[in-house]
Amino acid sequence: MSEHSMIEARPLPDITDVAAPFWEATRRHELVVQYCAACNTAQFPPEVSCTECGAPDLTWRPVSGRARLYSWTVAHPPLLPYFAARAPWPVVAVELEEGPRMVSRLIDVPIDDYAFDLPLEVAFEDIDEEISLVVFKRAGG
Amino acid sequence: MSSIAGRTAIAGIGTTEFARHIGRGEELTALEAIRAALEDAGLGTGDVDGIFQVEGQKGEPWDVAQRLGVERLRAFSTVGGGGGAACGPVVWAAVAVATGMCEVAIAYRARHRGSMQRPWAGSPARVTGRRAFELPHGLVAPAQQIALTARRYLHESGAPEDCFARVAVVQRDHASRNSRAVFRDPITIDDVLSSRMIAEPLHLLECCPETDGACAVVVTSVERARDLQQPPAVIAGVAQASTKRHSLMTNLHAPDPFEWPAKSAARDLYGMAGLGPQDVDVALLYDMFTPVVLYGLESYGFCKRGEAGHFVAAGSIDGANAKLPLNTHGGNMSEGFLHGFNHVLEGVRQIRGSSTSQVASVDVALVGAAPVVPTSSFLLTK
Repeated sequence: MSEHSMIEARPLPDITDVAAPFWEATRRHELVVQYCAACNTAQFPPEVSCTECGAPDLTWRPVSGRARLYSWTVAHPPLLPYFAARAPWPVVAVELEEGPRMVSRLIDVPIDDYAFDLPLEVAFEDIDEEISLVVFKRAGG
Repeated sequence: MSSIAGRTAIAGIGTTEFARHIGRGEELTALEAIRAALEDAGLGTGDVDGIFQVEGQKGEPWDVAQRLGVERLRAFSTVGGGGGAACGPVVWAAVAVATGMCEVAIAYRARHRGSMQRPWAGSPARVTGRRAFELPHGLVAPAQQIALTARRYLHESGAPEDCFARVAVVQRDHASRNSRAVFRDPITIDDVLSSRMIAEPLHLLECCPETDGACAVVVTSVERARDLQQPPAVIAGVAQASTKRHSLMTNLHAPDPFEWPAKSAARDLYGMAGLGPQDVDVALLYDMFTPVVLYGLESYGFCKRGEAGHFVAAGSIDGANAKLPLNTHGGNMSEGFLHGFNHVLEGVRQIRGSSTSQVASVDVALVGAAPVVPTSSFLLTK
């Protein structure tokens, strides 16, 4: 019943909203997050104000790209067609050295090697001319 | 300012059958459940002057009022938060009655997801907002979101891997005595662990099914409820909560993801009622996936952080005579997925002494909506 209406392609970010500077940076293979001008909290995902102190002024700054593996799951069908064709599909959450956590993927680590707090560094997966997704690889790998 | 604690009560409960495909619309089942609740209370549609519902169903409160022939609808609202809104309509019905906005309020939920496609299957090609950082990586369905925290939970707590499965087994045992339940055949931990993998570490039998059905309750003043035909389930405390830097389902962007919104709700709930977790005789905790029950146990103070898995593994929720009897109707996972509103009705049955898994002596029942999203909860007493 539901399969008929599912999108065939991989779902992709709308890069026109508040996160536009994030996606412009990833296209240059840079990882940036918002910093609050008032309390200096590093913020991800992007928002229109600081969700720590409520202040309005935010600036985009590069981060180190160093992270640790916080957790992961492996998704099995039924899935959206793009992921179903590539299942089982691992997804991870990483914790950046600067604090924020991100949902992402590991590009060079076999699932059996996934381990809590595994040291990682950022990489980029070019999807098309506009979009590069943030992924991670083993640190120093 | 005076509290609303103990000033209102649930005087009637009503439900349709629960089914994978019920064969008629949400507009109809909503009215069936509401009429059944009024009949249970010994009231009629002419008594209704308040209607409170959960978001995401067919028909606004004023539509429902018209269909019931309500003369003057004096209070109404639609509560958001998905599964976190399970208790919200009761919370706001209690507030409206206690403050005099209305006298007889209906709180209800009709939910026909068995007959719809799963929401995640309608994911758009271009994703906006926070989900733009999840869907492209394949974190699409709620099961996957919960699995992400569940694996971390096992790591941090050192709880046995089968602690989640045990929740499903205990709830199915309760459902085996409940003729309303969609799933009634008893299951074992092996059955759960050998069921199809959905999102590691969660198996099929650790996920609730999608079903069709409707549930409703009647909320009125304690004084009026005591003159009606059913023993009142007194609303001793209510709460809603969302927390700083909360993000739906994963809470991944909060400083500590395991500080769920429900923990904030618990503080207000117990504070308003002048009760604590040690006073609760039976808990009806939201269970769309097994780990979420453990998050509820910790959020509402039945266990300390990281101890719920060990608590469950030790048999502390096994059966109606357990240390903490839990989801005695079978929950979303076995009775039916009414988005937790069926937990509301079971809380009332436990106070009345009419559950099919009745706990021996119930003075206090806690009903908690999904703890992992902006949430709601209440305490019932005699």
